[in-house]
Amino acid sequence: MDFDWTPDEQAFRERLRDFLDTTLPDDWERFSQHGPASPDLTRYAQTFCAALAEEDLLIPHWPVEIGGQGQDPWHQTILAEEMWIAGEPRGGQYMNVNWIGPTLIRYGTPEQQARYLPPIAQGKALWCQGFSEPGSGSDLASLRTRAVADGGDYVVNGQKIWTSYAGLADTCFLLCRTSEDRKRGITILLVPMDTPGITVRQIPSIIGEGDIHEVFFDDMRVPASARLGEEGQAWEIIAYSLRNERLGIPRYALARSALDRAVSILQERGDFVREAVRIEAAGAAALCEAARLASYAIVTRRAEGETIGQESSSARYATVMCERRVCEFIVEHLPEALADAHPYLKMHHQRGIVAGIAAGAAEIQLNIIASDVLGLPREAR
Amino acid sequence: MQVALNEDQRAIRDALDALARPFEEAPVHEAPRVAASPDFARALAESGFLDVACDPDLGTATAGVVVERLARLPFAVEAATRAFFAPLLGDVSGPVCLVEGTRTPRLVRFLEAGACVIVVEEQGVSYFTADEQQLRRESESLFAYPMASLLEIPEERAGLPITPGEARTRARAALAAEAAGLMAAALASVCAHLSERTQFGRKLATFQALRHRLAEAQVRTNGVYWMAMKAATTLDPADAALAAWHAQESATSTVYDFHQFLGAMGMTLEHPLHFWTYRLKALIGELGGRGASAAAAADALWG
Repeated sequence: MDFDWTPDEQAFRERLRDFLDTTLPDDWERFSQHGPASPDLTRYAQTFCAALAEEDLLIPHWPVEIGGQGQDPWHQTILAEEMWIAGEPRGGQYMNVNWIGPTLIRYGTPEQQARYLPPIAQGKALWCQGFSEPGSGSDLASLRTRAVADGGDYVVNGQKIWTSYAGLADTCFLLCRTSEDRKRGITILLVPMDTPGITVRQIPSIIGEGDIHEVFFDDMRVPASARLGEEGQAWEIIAYSLRNERLGIPRYALARSALDRAVSILQERGDFVREAVRIEAAGAAALCEAARLASYAIVTRRAEGETIGQESSSARYATVMCERRVCEFIVEHLPEALADAHPYLKMHHQRGIVAGIAAGAAEIQLNIIASDVLGLPREAR
Repeated sequence: MQVALNEDQRAIRDALDALARPFEEAPVHEAPRVAASPDFARALAESGFLDVACDPDLGTATAGVVVERLARLPFAVEAATRAFFAPLLGDVSGPVCLVEGTRTPRLVRFLEAGACVIVVEEQGVSYFTADEQQLRRESESLFAYPMASLLEIPEERAGLPITPGEARTRARAALAAEAAGLMAAALASVCAHLSERTQFGRKLATFQALRHRLAEAQVRTNGVYWMAMKAATTLDPADAALAAWHAQESATSTVYDFHQFLGAMGMTLEHPLHFWTYRLKALIGELGGRGASAAAAADALWG
């Protein structure tokens, strides 16, 4: 066991902090409240990610042959932590580097890689994920958006909902049904969002403007070359993607940073002396540490070349616990933060609500832990 | 950063498991409240596992691994305090106990004649060897540890070369490591039972109401484990206080679930669960309980 960072890792973190200090605008904390998918932040993210790319800091964990530096998963973790602590100035592009790119690297055709990876590596791409449907949230395998082969094309009809970034995204990672087999009947299509037959409607959200959408597909036609992997391979591919995604957002890092900020504000005004407040703060810090170490145990195994299975669900649920505890601490002791007094804390709170819902609901994580980590017999369905 | 046991630690864990294997079965009928095994205690003392921290290459990090593993056994063996304080104590033959302050009488785990009692006070850390007159055995205690009340602390004690803060940090790391093992064993035993027992025509473990709470217990147990391992490795005051708080808080939130899930058996002594849960209850009240652990963490983190 070793709980210290190597000098190289520490230097990488310092480099990222310096970059954020010199690059982010002075009013960034207030600006970031608009939400990661807002038009303003999406536009800013293009500039920011291009600057990251210039410094070789956008995709350092990607293989060298496709533009990365082949850095280990610890660098990916440090990068994700520093970006998330800063309020995720990459906006929706974080998805590109965390899991869309790696998924394309593993499953994409050379043509798909040539088309989609360079814009991601240059910080110019924005994707959305067409997963959930009105009747298919946690029960994703019940999705009904249908893709029918027609000549050399697929014709798609159906509806997606609660789709992040769809308003401004240029490509959709779309799950469609191509046969009746519940899981083996789902296929992935990579769909340009300007394809005729797509209609996007925004749903107001707590996270910020422009974040959540409905997406309608009416006789939308894409060539068969838009298919990622084989027909019916979607379940295998997204299992791989989501394992990356579940560790992709280090919410524990922002939660701890928000907690430290809250404590600092309370200290400045002399309100961090009551034992009851101090005890609450320490409990929240402990949950952040539990989530961080649970995540690091997974990253350690990944860094040693292991394929990570369902254990990441445990780290993910620990993160939900800490995120909620920090949100509660701030609501209880600094409620004015949710008005407009402390933009950083408000930003944290806006995003905190997502912790147990996005990338697989917390209850789904508990199901996975019960079956695959504890080895309990599966529940009747 | 390597949040995993290293090769030496895995080897020691495996060797310890081999030593403990004959003692994995709980003697539920012979010793319903407290399970002690003089044979295992002797084998353990001779094995040197409790002295791993004396080897600078292994240190208290490996002591944490040993303590967590031993806590999984149904037999109560004094390992935690001894393993974490071994480099400071030299040759000590009996169990090692720790008390904060000089208030008496007080309930102390593993206290017996010949035990080494470490006393942590603001002015320093000292120790003495307990004799029969200084203690009263508490054979009616619900806690599944051998317990005795310490009636008197002698004026004459030997000093330990460690500050009170450092002693508390070691004690908190030891507590967290022991709690992690207790929680792991309790969780495993409950999962095994629910995977076997059928009610309403289904295995109990297939009911989501139980599955989710067990899964949350897994998340907590995993968190306590790694926080304990970190505290044992770094001996950092904040790490130790956070680990102790998470252990005590998680014990509080899981112990009743574990008994609940055994149904009527959770009220009896016919299942070994109580060995682990009633030890956890003892740890919840150690070192000032959750409040003191949290206060210590707040002091260490934010001043």
